[in-house]
Amino acid sequence: MADYLTVSTIQTIPAAGPTQDELYQDAARNYGAALERLARAYEAHPEIRRDLLQDIHVALWRSFAGFDGRCSTRTWMYRVAHNVGASHVLLQRRTRSQTLVGLEELENLPDATSGQPAADRTQALDRLLSLIQHLKPLDRHVILSYLEGLDAAEIGEITGLSPGNVATKIHRIKAVLAHQFQHGVHNS
Amino acid sequence: MNETSNKQTQELWQSQPVEGIKISADVIRRRAGKFERRIYWRNIREYASSLVAAIFFAYFFATTHIVLFRIAYALFIAGLAWVVFQLHRQGSAKSMPGAMGTLTCLQFFRAELERQREVVANVWSWYLAPLVPGFVAITAASVIARPYPAGLVAATVLDAFVAVVFLLVLKMNRRAVRCLQRMIDELSAAENQPQSGERMQPTT
Repeated sequence: MADYLTVSTIQTIPAAGPTQDELYQDAARNYGAALERLARAYEAHPEIRRDLLQDIHVALWRSFAGFDGRCSTRTWMYRVAHNVGASHVLLQRRTRSQTLVGLEELENLPDATSGQPAADRTQALDRLLSLIQHLKPLDRHVILSYLEGLDAAEIGEITGLSPGNVATKIHRIKAVLAHQFQHGVHNS
Repeated sequence: MNETSNKQTQELWQSQPVEGIKISADVIRRRAGKFERRIYWRNIREYASSLVAAIFFAYFFATTHIVLFRIAYALFIAGLAWVVFQLHRQGSAKSMPGAMGTLTCLQFFRAELERQREVVANVWSWYLAPLVPGFVAITAASVIARPYPAGLVAATVLDAFVAVVFLLVLKMNRRAVRCLQRMIDELSAAENQPQSGERMQPTT
């Protein structure tokens, strides 16, 4: 004789969540542009950047196999993307002798172009990218998250920095951006 | 004024033109497979180069009739086997992409730096030290089994060359460890900074 499930038993069975592919496709559709901007901040060379972007997508797809829903897909996506970016920076440090600086140093760094108006948006954007690409990975995470419009709580969740530390860094970012871009962006 | 300027910088960043690259799940799966294969072949290359060196030593082992040289070649083969075992162990302990979403950037970055520091700091014990007994044995064999002073001269030249290479590797590694440690300390300082501070006030 066949065993039938009661309605109450069926109600306790958890509904099947989205699959790894569905989670990935959803994230790629919603945050594809953000991922491209992020890759641009981690790699200036167009071909290597394209590879990096694909690596980010692969890491994202693979990571969703272990997605437990304890944070939002947006936080998860940014964590994975930044972690791939940080690994890329570490790898590139061995082949390129570029010195990376922290936000504190950037504040005091004399820059020939700071305060100078940028001719157009492209020039202002190039200057912004160059500034970001010179930052150490953790500071780069924070400034990118800030530019993407994430709030301090989300930045803390992604980076693991305390709220006070995030606030301090955002304060510095605002000062640096204001110093570097207040004329350029207005004029553009 | 500053706040307006910052909003405009955010707007400038978010409105930059993007290519709108779309990658299907199939392409991702294929590329993930390619990544696995790349790691697999890199390991194969490392094992193969050790195997080639081991074959050379095995050939010398089989063709020499001097016991001391045989001992030296056997020690080299054992040393290479130990190096391959360590390569395999460290390769499989690398952080997997699955953990990337569960770890915050701070945790992930520090774990990566600590892993690299351990590998670099321990190069002496897992990569260089296993080959030392072979070099010591071949020095002894050259001095004892070959006529004086040819054996002594050959052993001295070989040992001096090996010592210089080992010292250079050690010096470079110590520098790399110091650099990695500095970065780890910076991250620890960032993590341990107090929850509130005098710079927390808004800028507007």
